Amino acid sequence: MLQAIITGLLMGGLYALIGVGLSLIFGIVKVTNIAHGDLMIVSTFFIMVIVTKLVNNIYLALAITIVIMAIIGFLIQKFLINTVIDQGAETAMLVMFGLSIAIQNALTLIFGAGNNALPSPVKGTNFIKSDLVSISGQYAVNFIVAIVLIVGLALIMDKTPLGRSIRAASSDTMAAELMGINTKTMYVWAMAITMAATAVAGLLVGQTYSFFPYTGTQFLIIAFGVVVIGGMGSIFGTLIGGAILGLAQMIAAYLFGTAYQTLAGYIVLLILLTVRPQGLLSKKVRK
Amino acid sequence: MKKQTGKMTTVRWISLAVAVVLLVSLPFWGGDYIVNIFTLILMYMAIGEMWNLLAGYAGLVSLGAQAFIGLGGYSLAMISQVFKLPFLLGFLLAAVISVLFALIISVPIFSMKDVYFTIGTWLVAEAVCVFFQSWAFVNFNVGYNITVARRLSGTAMYFIAFGVGLIALVAVVIILRSKFGLGLMAMRDNEAASEIRGVKLYRSKLICFLVSSAITGIAGAALYLNLSYIKPTVGFGIDWTVSMVFIAVIGGMGTIEGPIIGAIIFVILRQLLYNFSGFSMLILGIIAVVMILVAPKGIMGLINKKKGFDLFGVKRTVDISIFKEDAETAAAK
Repeated sequence: MLQAIITGLLMGGLYALIGVGLSLIFGIVKVTNIAHGDLMIVSTFFIMVIVTKLVNNIYLALAITIVIMAIIGFLIQKFLINTVIDQGAETAMLVMFGLSIAIQNALTLIFGAGNNALPSPVKGTNFIKSDLVSISGQYAVNFIVAIVLIVGLALIMDKTPLGRSIRAASSDTMAAELMGINTKTMYVWAMAITMAATAVAGLLVGQTYSFFPYTGTQFLIIAFGVVVIGGMGSIFGTLIGGAILGLAQMIAAYLFGTAYQTLAGYIVLLILLTVRPQGLLSKKVRK
Repeated sequence: MKKQTGKMTTVRWISLAVAVVLLVSLPFWGGDYIVNIFTLILMYMAIGEMWNLLAGYAGLVSLGAQAFIGLGGYSLAMISQVFKLPFLLGFLLAAVISVLFALIISVPIFSMKDVYFTIGTWLVAEAVCVFFQSWAFVNFNVGYNITVARRLSGTAMYFIAFGVGLIALVAVVIILRSKFGLGLMAMRDNEAASEIRGVKLYRSKLICFLVSSAITGIAGAALYLNLSYIKPTVGFGIDWTVSMVFIAVIGGMGTIEGPIIGAIIFVILRQLLYNFSGFSMLILGIIAVVMILVAPKGIMGLINKKKGFDLFGVKRTVDISIFKEDAETAAAK
């Protein structure tokens, strides 16, 4: 049981990192990025290609991928979402849905439907190993990187002039524009930053799990879970959301067997959505 | 002030009659391939119409409609394979199970708003899929061969599809031409205003959801009668909803004619791209994205912009002479 709790919490860290991008975009641009999971898997595939074909160093590959993903985020926001955003959030969501289908099938065409894995320096090693608990090196790395990155994102949004402009653009579009902020440009920046962070999530996911072109959906649902529990738009909420989802899955796996791990995650989510439709931590916004 | 649905004019009756005669007589003059294509078009039109009824009229964007396709398909499979009953009973069971399931899940998911509703429906469908994979009663993730399908002629399958398409279309037309439909359209255009004018939001949405679920379930049974094999990951796969979204978006959301056009384009495109199986969904996805960017109201939106085309007369016209009289009396005062 202790093992389940610790593994659950550690998994929660990675889950939070997967979810934070979705949460940011929902909070800032007010669009549900249904292609979020697929974009993350795109970055995983980028890292895989770069590390096998171009450079032999996974960190260099990650750095290159972060730049590529930031550019992709920039393009998606500028040419897809910004074009339709005035027609309402649902239209933008359907655009991203179309993009998600296109990405999945493009990846299948290029890489085939088989399983892939990324090399990892800590694969197979143990961070802690004792009779009571054991923590794999990969899970420990995931957890630490996720915490650092999420805190970093929160600092960017909180302390830097760019972050302040982005938050201003999202909290009151008209006032921000009157103050001379181009809100749509801010959305573009927000998407670029988000996608850069998503590239890191893509690396960790690729090192931890095997992945294939259709895995994006699976991680999108995890991201949804994290964000729904933590509250859409809340950066630190994703940490709590991730922890709760990870714990629910591992405890269910411990009690009922691994077959029910996924189902338990969904059910916890549906219950939370029913009881607190606006998220566990988010404040009620009055309009 | 008179508000009335468009009259069923002679032109409308004739064009509908011609369409029905052509469709009913199709198996007698069309080749096997044509009949097969129209079988698919009719079934996909049915599910497209049902998704459109929710998203385009009731404002409920669902990504979980595949739950009902799967339930419908499994109803048919269980009736014909496990209980060895006549397969037509499968359609009845599909409708009943779908309505019951919709009624149960409506309690939690109707407390969710907008995007949460969308996520909630998807989660429900995924949960059902995972549940079916570990449920012995439905043969885990192996699923069933629906053997009765092999004894069915192409013509019989066509008429089943025709029936399903007809049910879907008639249901939508009846709903939208009624006062209830007027309320729905008012609700879509302005929820708060329509509620003040007496539209019962919750009840209206629930009725739409139940009707849509029942007919999607029936269509699911028909689709799996045609496919003749069902397993959870495919039966409850998001691909079903992808097709519905595509059909509604391409044809035009919030119109009855839209999904008809959308289904024709969808099925034909998919057949043309059949040999490039990976490409077909890729191209469909790109088309859908471009379509939303260029023509957000779909093909019907483009047609409507040119001239007010409305095959089923669900749009209301207001007699504007009343306003003129009002203005004149006001001016006289």
